[in-house]
Formats: sequence, structure tokens, C-alpha cells
Amino acid sequence: MNRLNKLFASKNNNLLSIYFTAGYPALNTTVDIAEALEKSGADFLEIGFPYSDPVADGPTIQHSSEVALENGMSLKVLFEELAELRSRVSIPILLMGYFNPIAQYGVERFCKKAAEVGVDGIIVPDLPIYEYEKMYSSYFIDNGLSNIFLVTPQTSEERIRKIDELSNSFIYLLSSSTITGYNLKLSDSVEEYYKRITAMKLKNPTIIGFGITDSSSFTKACNYANGAIIGSKFVKLLGEEGYMDNIEGFVKGIRP
Amino acid sequence: MKIKVCGLKHPENIKAVAALQPDYAGFIFYGKSPRYMANLAAGALQTIPASIKKTGVFVNESSENIDRLVTEYGFNAVQLHGDESPEFCAAFKGRVTVIKAFGINEDFDFEQLKDYANNVDLFLFDTKTKEYGGSGKTFDWAILDQYKLDIPFFLSGGVGLENIKEVKNITHPQFYGVDLNSRFENEPGLKNIEKLKEAFKIIKNKIQQMKYGVNEQGYYGDFGGAYIPEMLYPNVEELREQYLNIINDDDFKAEFDDLLKNYVGRPSPLYHAKRYSEKYGANIFFKREDLNHTGSHKINNAIGQILLAKRLGKKRIIAETGAGQHGVATATVCALMNIECVVYMGEIDMVRQAPNVARMKMLGAKVVPATSGSKTLKDATNEALRDWIGNPVDTHYIIGSVVGPYPYPDIVARFQSIISQETKAQLLEQTGKELPQYVMACVGGGSNAMGMFYHFIEDEAVKLVAVEAAGKGVNSGESAATTALGDEGVLHGSRTILMQTEDGQVVEPYSISAGLDYPGIGPQHAHLFKTGRGQYVSITDEEALQAGLLCCQLEGIIPAIETAHALAQLEKMKFEANDNVVICISGRGDKDLDTYINYFGY
Repeated sequence: MNRLNKLFASKNNNLLSIYFTAGYPALNTTVDIAEALEKSGADFLEIGFPYSDPVADGPTIQHSSEVALENGMSLKVLFEELAELRSRVSIPILLMGYFNPIAQYGVERFCKKAAEVGVDGIIVPDLPIYEYEKMYSSYFIDNGLSNIFLVTPQTSEERIRKIDELSNSFIYLLSSSTITGYNLKLSDSVEEYYKRITAMKLKNPTIIGFGITDSSSFTKACNYANGAIIGSKFVKLLGEEGYMDNIEGFVKGIRP
Repeated sequence: MKIKVCGLKHPENIKAVAALQPDYAGFIFYGKSPRYMANLAAGALQTIPASIKKTGVFVNESSENIDRLVTEYGFNAVQLHGDESPEFCAAFKGRVTVIKAFGINEDFDFEQLKDYANNVDLFLFDTKTKEYGGSGKTFDWAILDQYKLDIPFFLSGGVGLENIKEVKNITHPQFYGVDLNSRFENEPGLKNIEKLKEAFKIIKNKIQQMKYGVNEQGYYGDFGGAYIPEMLYPNVEELREQYLNIINDDDFKAEFDDLLKNYVGRPSPLYHAKRYSEKYGANIFFKREDLNHTGSHKINNAIGQILLAKRLGKKRIIAETGAGQHGVATATVCALMNIECVVYMGEIDMVRQAPNVARMKMLGAKVVPATSGSKTLKDATNEALRDWIGNPVDTHYIIGSVVGPYPYPDIVARFQSIISQETKAQLLEQTGKELPQYVMACVGGGSNAMGMFYHFIEDEAVKLVAVEAAGKGVNSGESAATTALGDEGVLHGSRTILMQTEDGQVVEPYSISAGLDYPGIGPQHAHLFKTGRGQYVSITDEEALQAGLLCCQLEGIIPAIETAHALAQLEKMKFEANDNVVICISGRGDKDLDTYINYFGY
């Protein structure tokens, strides 16, 4: 049972997760930011590693990725920074990024290294179920890493069942079919989609992401899932001066 | 999967079956069969197109009789359905395709086939009966797992519409085709054309597994697949489920063929370039895609995909473009079909290719600058993908090359395959031989090259030469020579070869030709490269420009700079005097006049 499973066993509503891009706005800030987020009350974190062609991301996270790459961030550098992660941070940590950097690093080596520095789960939006199951799942499982799959309003019930079966910590529900960084509009169809998922009584908890920007959208999302993830809005904050001092206010502003 | 229709005997019925284009048509010369074709005149078989192998089926007939009938009826294959020995079979091998049939039941000993292995071309496994076949019953197909030889086989006996889907699931590596007979008849020997049509449709919608082709999971060897975020899954899945149904449909084919002929101006000429032939000491042929409407091969794919989009009920088209050729082709077909069109183009490319931006706008398209990343083709592709994520229901994404998640590489290759399909027929007409020694084309993503290679890929005697852009030199740091500089990885949804850093970040390529300025290649090209089936080389900016000028001066054709890369490779080839060489003139050079002018100072 990794830290994620323990968290979900102890708490099953209003979970708050924050995403940020490693290497943005500068190198050697990853663990500082993570530590500040934990102290401010975040329940778990997603640390993004940058990619040159992030097709699922909107302008904010794209920009953070470009800056991070210019700063020299890479998986190698990230793992170096994360060496001190577990001496300073105790909440669950996920790594999130695109498949090609992992493929070049070596999937098995990546999983080993992630487990070694104390990472609990991985989110790779462009690694499909077929390839994961056929070629890579054993590396994740052998290293105690949860692989997190995404579900959108267009995902079929059959596929959601399959994803539920392959998941062992939580399922990442996208608020709508969108790239990151757009505001959530809780339309009737979105509500219907959340209700449809709830009615499926999945074995894994669900966390809603994409389009969560403030306390109000966070609270709404938590009506339908075990928690929600904030990404672009927080990355924007990291682009502002004096961001370290504003992290606590940001987190408390989302979930008082 | 090949299709053989067997037991034909009525002239009109034969014509109707031949129109369905089976791979084999079988005629039974066995007096005890109700399908005996004794009264059929030899002339009745003359109307059958050469692409269909006319097959005589015999049961313990004398070799003299078989010999005589092969000559009389012009059989291309004989099917020996009795107790013929390996030596008996061997006597016909080389002259015609020899198919040896066996009746199979649960006691069948596959060991006995060993003696036939070197003496026949194909086996046919039928249900065992006392009467040498014709029972209309199936045998237990699981038994086929016991067959381990490397001679391909036909499956026969009781195949009908009820079980044809199960036939499609047979994965035996030597499973060659299916024999359709009694379950498709109104009476013995009279085929039910509607039922056959239905079966053909089901069978042909299965991906034909070929050595260099795509498999059902979308892979070409190690390359391909669909590495896409879940947000794109429904879009791509819809295409994957429907594309073969749609593009194999008769209505679709008719509309596609009509537009290619009357709107695009196909067939494009195959021109015997005499001064080039003299200069390079071989018969050089130009496949003139530059003469297509809109000035390049890109229109072939755009027409196919707009018809596909219409049948999927899409109301909006998006596309990416680098040099603007694909953007112009897409804007053109959207105007033609009155569908909204949005083209993503790198901000830098919009400046470099301003006339094409104007063309797209005149054609009614909205051109959206891609301002992220390096602001060129790969970023335009990213923006188009992002648009598609946000518009999953009503929008079709017309990808312009043989790249992207499966099924795109296959869709684009099929629509471009018209290039090699026409070439084969034109070569046959002009030289008497449909296979050349070489086919050559330039490669960015690789769509004109895949179209030029497509129908030659499985003919291993034909050498495939793909020419990448070396830019200022392969090792100059400013190059787009993907196979020379790239590694395996994932780009724009498929596993392929791409230019990247050690950390897996995509490297911005460079070429003077915007159409070759792409950091990857299509997954099928990656497969042809890795297996050695294709030869991948590269040409510098300067070599290409010189070759472009030479083509103007020797043949009176101003080629696109992309095409000029393929022409430049001729300088480095060593041909035999009788070699036939086809080179794809993928586009015309009008769009590149500024570049030519700046370089040569005209």
C-alpha cells in the first residue's frame, strides 16, 4: 500500500491536489514548492516534468514547460532534485508528463528511479491502455507505482470499466474534453457525466481535474468526486514575484 | 486475405463474379461434380481480367488432359483435389500456380504434407468427404494450429456469411485466403452475387497483413500505434472503426475516382524524361504529381479525407500546414464541399510562405498562427491536435502526411497510393513491364514517397529510395535528415524515428524546403528504414537547388524544392543501362520561385 492508497483509505472527500511544473520558474525549487504546499494543507501533489510538445496542455503549462526546458530541467535533473524529497515532504507525490522523455530515459529505469526517490504514482496522458498493458505495466507494478488513467465525458462505459480494473489508486476525471487551463463551466451535460460516473460505483476513488480554478469550482467538483486538482491556476502564481510567500494563501483560498 | 470463388460455369454469372474482383476464380473439371463446367467454351474465360487467377480444379485427372486444358482455357493455376502425388504436382510447378487440396477431419495427419512442400505453391484445406469436397460443411478450424509448414493455404468447406467473421479471426501465419463456393449459390454452379458482395465487403475490411503493412493494432513492425491522450481517444477510435468501411464502399470509391479524374486531373502523366535518361544512363520516368490541381500530390489525400469527413457527419475541418501546400489543398476541398476550414500554421512559416497564406484565405479558410514552441510545422500540428481535443464531436482533422496516430498513416497512404497504382499501369503500357528497378521520392513526413512506394513495397525486387533533407549538411546542426540523426521515440501520436535530445525533447529541424522540415517520419517509413526494405539518403539545400535548376534546363519543368531533393539523388546513383527508374515529381516549383531567385540571382 503506497502513500496514495493510505491517503484515500483515511480521507475520501474534499481532497485537494496541486500540479506544478518542475524547473519552473527556476531549477532547485521543486522540493521547496512541494514542502510549502504540504504545509499549506494540500493532500497530494503532481509534479510535471516538461516536454517540448505538450499537446494536452494550454498556454500556461506550455509556457512553464518551455521555461523549465530553457532552465535545463530534464528527468535526470528532476531525479537529482527529488533525492531529498522524502526527508522534507510526506504527502503522496505523482509525476506527470509525456511519454517520449520517459521512453528515452528508459521506462524500466524511470520506474525504478521514481520509486527510489519516493514517488507514488505516474500520470502519462499519451501512454495508451493497450501499450501500457502489453509492454510496460510490470515495471510500474514491480516498483509499487500507481499508473493513473484519464477519463473524459466521451469515454465509453466499457472503457471506464477497463480503466477501473487497471487502476489501483484513483481515476483522473477530466471536467470536459479540453486541454489544461480553461475554466470549468458546470453545464447540465457535465453534471450528467459526473452522475453517470457516480452511478457506475467504481472501485477506485475519482479526482476531477482540468478547469478547476478557485474555491467555487473546487467545491462543485467535490460534490461529484473525492477531490479535485488545480494546475494552471497555480502555475500562473509561480510566474509571479514572491510566489513562495503566496502559496499558503493560494491553497487556503481554494479550500478554507 | 485472398478470395477464391470456385465452381463457376455460366458465362453471364462468370462476368458478374469477375466484376467483384476475386483473387482466384475456380472452374471444376470433375464429371461427378454438380458444378462441372464441361459445356463452358474456352472463350467464356477470356473476359476475365488478368488480375484474377483462373484456376482449373481437377480430381485425379491425367497430366495430359490437365496440360491440354491449361492451354485451352488459359489457366493461371491448377487445383489438384484428388490423390495426386508430390511428383505429379511438381510437373506443373513453375508453369502455373499449383494448389494441392486436402480433405481435413480430426484425424488428419499434417505430417504427410511435408513431401508436398517443395512441389506446390499453395495448399487448400477442405472438409473431408467421400466425394472430394463440395459438402458445404466446415471442419474444426482449431485443427489448423497443427499445420506448421511455411506454404500458405486456402481455407475451404462451408464458408458462408454466417461464419465469415470467424474466418476473419483466424490468425494462422500461413492463412492465405478463403474459398467461397456452395454457400453463395442460388443453385450448384450459379453464384448469388449479392451474397458474394456482402462477403467481399466483410473480408476486405480486414486489414491485409503484409510484411511491410500495418497490423490490426496499427503497428508497422515496431512503429506506429496511437500514443494519444484520452481526450483524443474517441475521435481516433471513431475513425479507426469506420475508415475501412467507408473507403471500401462503392459510393465512396465512385465519388473519389470521379473527383480525382475530373477535378484533380488524374491520371497524372508518367513522362519518360529523355534528356535525364541520357544524362544518367537509365530510363528515367517522372510521375507528374506537380500537374495535379493545386500543384502537388497533397490534393489526393485532401479529397479522400474530405469525403471521409462528410460520411462521418463532420461539420468542421482542421488541418496543419508547413509550407502551405497541404493547407491550400485542404482549403480547396473545403471550399468545394462547403465545409468550415481552420488551418494551423507556424507563425514563422506564415511569413516564409505568405502567398500560400493568401491562397488559403481566398479559398475561405481561417489561418491560425501557431505561436508556441518553435512556431513551425510541428507546433502547428500540436495546435491542430489541441483544437481537436476541444472539438471532439463535430470536427475532422485532415492530417497532411503519413504521420500521426493510427489509423492516419494508413488512411493517408491509401489515398496517396493512387500514385503507384497509376505508375504500374503506365509502366506496363510504356515499357511492357509493370515493375521498375527503382522508385524514388523525397521524404518529409513521407506522404508522396508512401504513395509512390505503396504498390511496389511487397515486390522486393523494386528498390525504394527515399530522400531526406540534409539542410546545410547532416552534421551541420541544421538538418532534417531524420533517419541519419534521429532515434526511436514517440511523436504526434505514433512511435517512429524522430530527431530528439538525449532527454527526449523534440529537436527543431532545418531545411530550405518547408515541406521537408519535419523532425519525424511516418511510422511505415521508419519500418522500411529499419528493415532495410527502403534506402534512406539525404541531400543538402545546395544539391537540391542545383538539381532543381537542372530539371528546368533539361526537361522544362520547374520542380518544388522538396522534389528537387529526390532529383539530386540521381547524381549519386549507379544505374544499369536498361534500368527503369521512376521518380515522383511531388510538386511544382512556383511556390519556391523566391528561394530559387535568391539563390541563383535571376
